[in-house]
Amino acid sequence: MKIKFIFERIEKYHFPRRVLSGLILALLFSLQVYSQATVKGSVAEWNTEMNMEMPLPGANVYWLPSLDGTSSDQQGRFTLRSADAYPAKLVVSFVGYKSDTVLVKSNSDLHIRLVKILDLKEVQVAAKQEAVGLSMINPINVEKINQKELLKAACCNLSEAFETSPTVNVSYKDAVTGAKEIQMLGLSGTYSQLMTENIPNMRGIASVYGLSFIPGPWMESIQVTKGSGSVVNGYESTTGQINVEFKKPMETTTPKFYLNLFAEGNGSTEINTFYTRKINSKWSSMLFLHGNYMDRNIDRNKDGFLDMMHNKQINVYNRWMYHSGKKLESQLGVRFLADKREGGQLHSTVNPAPHPHPYLTSIDSRRLEVYGKLGFVYPGTPFKSIGNIIQGTVHTMNSKFGLKSYDAIQKTFYIQSIYQNILWKSEHQYKTGIVFRYDGLEQKYNFLEIPIAEEAVPGVFFEYTYNHIDKTSVVLGLREDYHSDYGWVFTPRFHGKHNFTDNFLMRASAGSSFRVPYLYADNISSFASSKELFVTEEIKPEKAWNYGINLTWKFELGHHEGSFSTDFYRTDFSNQLVMDAFSDSTRILFYNLKGDSYSNSFQAMLNYELVENLGIRIAYKFDDVKSTYQGKLEQKPLVSREKVLANISFATNNEHWKFDYTVVWDGPKKLETTYTDPDAGALPSYSPDFVVMHFQVTKVFRRFELYAGAENFLDYRQEHPIINAENPFSNTFDATNIYAPIDGRRIYAGLRYSIK
Amino acid sequence: MKTLKIIFLSLFLFVSGGNLFAQTDTVRIHTSSLCDMCKKTIERDLSFEKGVKTINLDIDSKLVTVVYLPSKTNPEKIRVALTKIGYDADSLKADAKAFDKLPDCCKAPGHHE
Repeated sequence: MKIKFIFERIEKYHFPRRVLSGLILALLFSLQVYSQATVKGSVAEWNTEMNMEMPLPGANVYWLPSLDGTSSDQQGRFTLRSADAYPAKLVVSFVGYKSDTVLVKSNSDLHIRLVKILDLKEVQVAAKQEAVGLSMINPINVEKINQKELLKAACCNLSEAFETSPTVNVSYKDAVTGAKEIQMLGLSGTYSQLMTENIPNMRGIASVYGLSFIPGPWMESIQVTKGSGSVVNGYESTTGQINVEFKKPMETTTPKFYLNLFAEGNGSTEINTFYTRKINSKWSSMLFLHGNYMDRNIDRNKDGFLDMMHNKQINVYNRWMYHSGKKLESQLGVRFLADKREGGQLHSTVNPAPHPHPYLTSIDSRRLEVYGKLGFVYPGTPFKSIGNIIQGTVHTMNSKFGLKSYDAIQKTFYIQSIYQNILWKSEHQYKTGIVFRYDGLEQKYNFLEIPIAEEAVPGVFFEYTYNHIDKTSVVLGLREDYHSDYGWVFTPRFHGKHNFTDNFLMRASAGSSFRVPYLYADNISSFASSKELFVTEEIKPEKAWNYGINLTWKFELGHHEGSFSTDFYRTDFSNQLVMDAFSDSTRILFYNLKGDSYSNSFQAMLNYELVENLGIRIAYKFDDVKSTYQGKLEQKPLVSREKVLANISFATNNEHWKFDYTVVWDGPKKLETTYTDPDAGALPSYSPDFVVMHFQVTKVFRRFELYAGAENFLDYRQEHPIINAENPFSNTFDATNIYAPIDGRRIYAGLRYSIK
Repeated sequence: MKTLKIIFLSLFLFVSGGNLFAQTDTVRIHTSSLCDMCKKTIERDLSFEKGVKTINLDIDSKLVTVVYLPSKTNPEKIRVALTKIGYDADSLKADAKAFDKLPDCCKAPGHHE
């Protein structure tokens, strides 16, 4: 075939464009177009991920039998010289899509939609895949973290996957549990919604360690939505959504067998593996395994408390997929995990004699998850589909913090049906459906039973999407739920996007959210303090509005691609569960918000390929988070107002060697404690700022990969993470004032082996 | 910091050094690739052959352009390597075993023509 295919498009980025000759060519071309009759049209595809029509740039369009043709532009549009005689056959083709032959009768406008060949679903057409994808098409501000970016993290679970992304911050919650918390827009991770393959997951009590229950090597990609998310996924997301896609058995990029081994200098080891089986052309399945083990006593700051908890985890996931090839798609999955953590004054390296009454912490978690998906597509009308989701989970948690204890069982049942179609034409699309969720929570605090909390929430939703040639899009979502305790909950959400040029766009969003707080699980770290938990009044659901605006600009400088993106988000709470650890010297108070509570979050990020194979990212973040404590509007503790992140990655030409370096500067954070007794633990009101650096090298061999690196290699640690560690049962003991890493430098090495 | 610098420098020399000023030759081989997946496989696997510097496959023309060090390999060795990945190399036929192991999309001849 003589026609210039997609490489024409790729070549544009690599060869200098001589302006003059380009102009002359363009002139000649336009003259030619002017002098001859043309056929105009557009090529699009049905994007299953976003469930909407997307233009297909770079598709080949040519006449039969002359093979005279062109390719579609960035908007999927094309202009073609008329056929010599009508009717004529026009072929539209694109790698990874089923070619289409259209019978054209006259010079009228054409709209052709290509269908993806299933096996090629994840194949990237672009010459180079960007590690953090900023979409120019999606009306919702979504940052996609793909495989390449995931491999930059040392290991091994979701909490570490955001190391090179400025959008999500990950920090320790306290000095004894090792639990990590994410923050988006300066607000706690409980305000962002975690999903696995678009099913809300790890809610309630599971959220405490939820991030470490999702192993890194199982993940295919992560999508981080900033600001309020889609109404289809519920009313709970305030600051954002994090969706994890696992590896899928029917995709050609998924290896048949995969093994990852990991060991770290402090004695923690991990194994991750999966096995893929294609049973026949319709059924395929996958079995995932994860295990980690750590039992060494690490106490570098010599305060008698373990810096890192002992941890054992086993995590098993089995998924089945069915594709009828025509109308039906189905999925089934079962996941089980058991996780045990132990810490506190567990060892006796400091005092030769074992502690007579040690302060011990332990957390035992068990989780069972079963889900099914059933989807119907209509051949010939790819925009029409029905999707059904059903999910049930049981999560148990038994924990001990010195003399305090918390035990809980949460059962969740979720069922949802989504129908989508178009109104009039494919520019107007909608999704609508019904949903029901049940949550049952049994809790015991200090062995005292708390009345069982049950929620049953049926709901309906409708989401309309207008998309005009991908230039202007509007998403309007409405949702109405009936909560068994709190009655009607109305959730409106709006997203809009406009491309001013091909490379410059603006997004705006606004949306409300509603959430019933989990008083104990959300604030589990407050157990690691001698202060008593005190709930002053009946806690009401949390309600907030989030507004955001985003500008994204893609550019080409010296034949290298780059992008600049900046955004501002504001979250306004009309009610919030306030955890107040500094108004009272003996108690941690919980009460409903009386006054203002807000977060203003600004971020700017630059990505650029400096020279061939050397990419840099620089990001700056400013979070102003305030809440009203006992009538006074104050800065939220333990949130850094400013943060700077820079990442450099380099790969050799054939990608046999990969290097990655990240530096993060964290600004001062306000500290929580204001004890009345100055000797007991007087702290400065702000923490010092600090710098953390990570480095990683990967060597790729024909059949396996070796990697090694150091996290926090400057070994920055918080000096005294625990106040009054010598007397854990005194009334001034506090392990919750954590602003920096506790465990210091972590040197690690690992192996990845896969069979295609 | 000084040790760090030395580590970086030696890594750089290790990675890029040695071959910086070596003489290279180029060969173009006609192969039987079909899709983007084939391109990935060929470019990845061939890069592990001794003496091979860069590989670029054009899917449409099915031509793979290989830059290599004549002191370490020759076009015939590269062609044989290509057949062992599962693809034809000019007049040489693909290794049957390797071809069987290819993903489905790379097997069907004339699949997207």
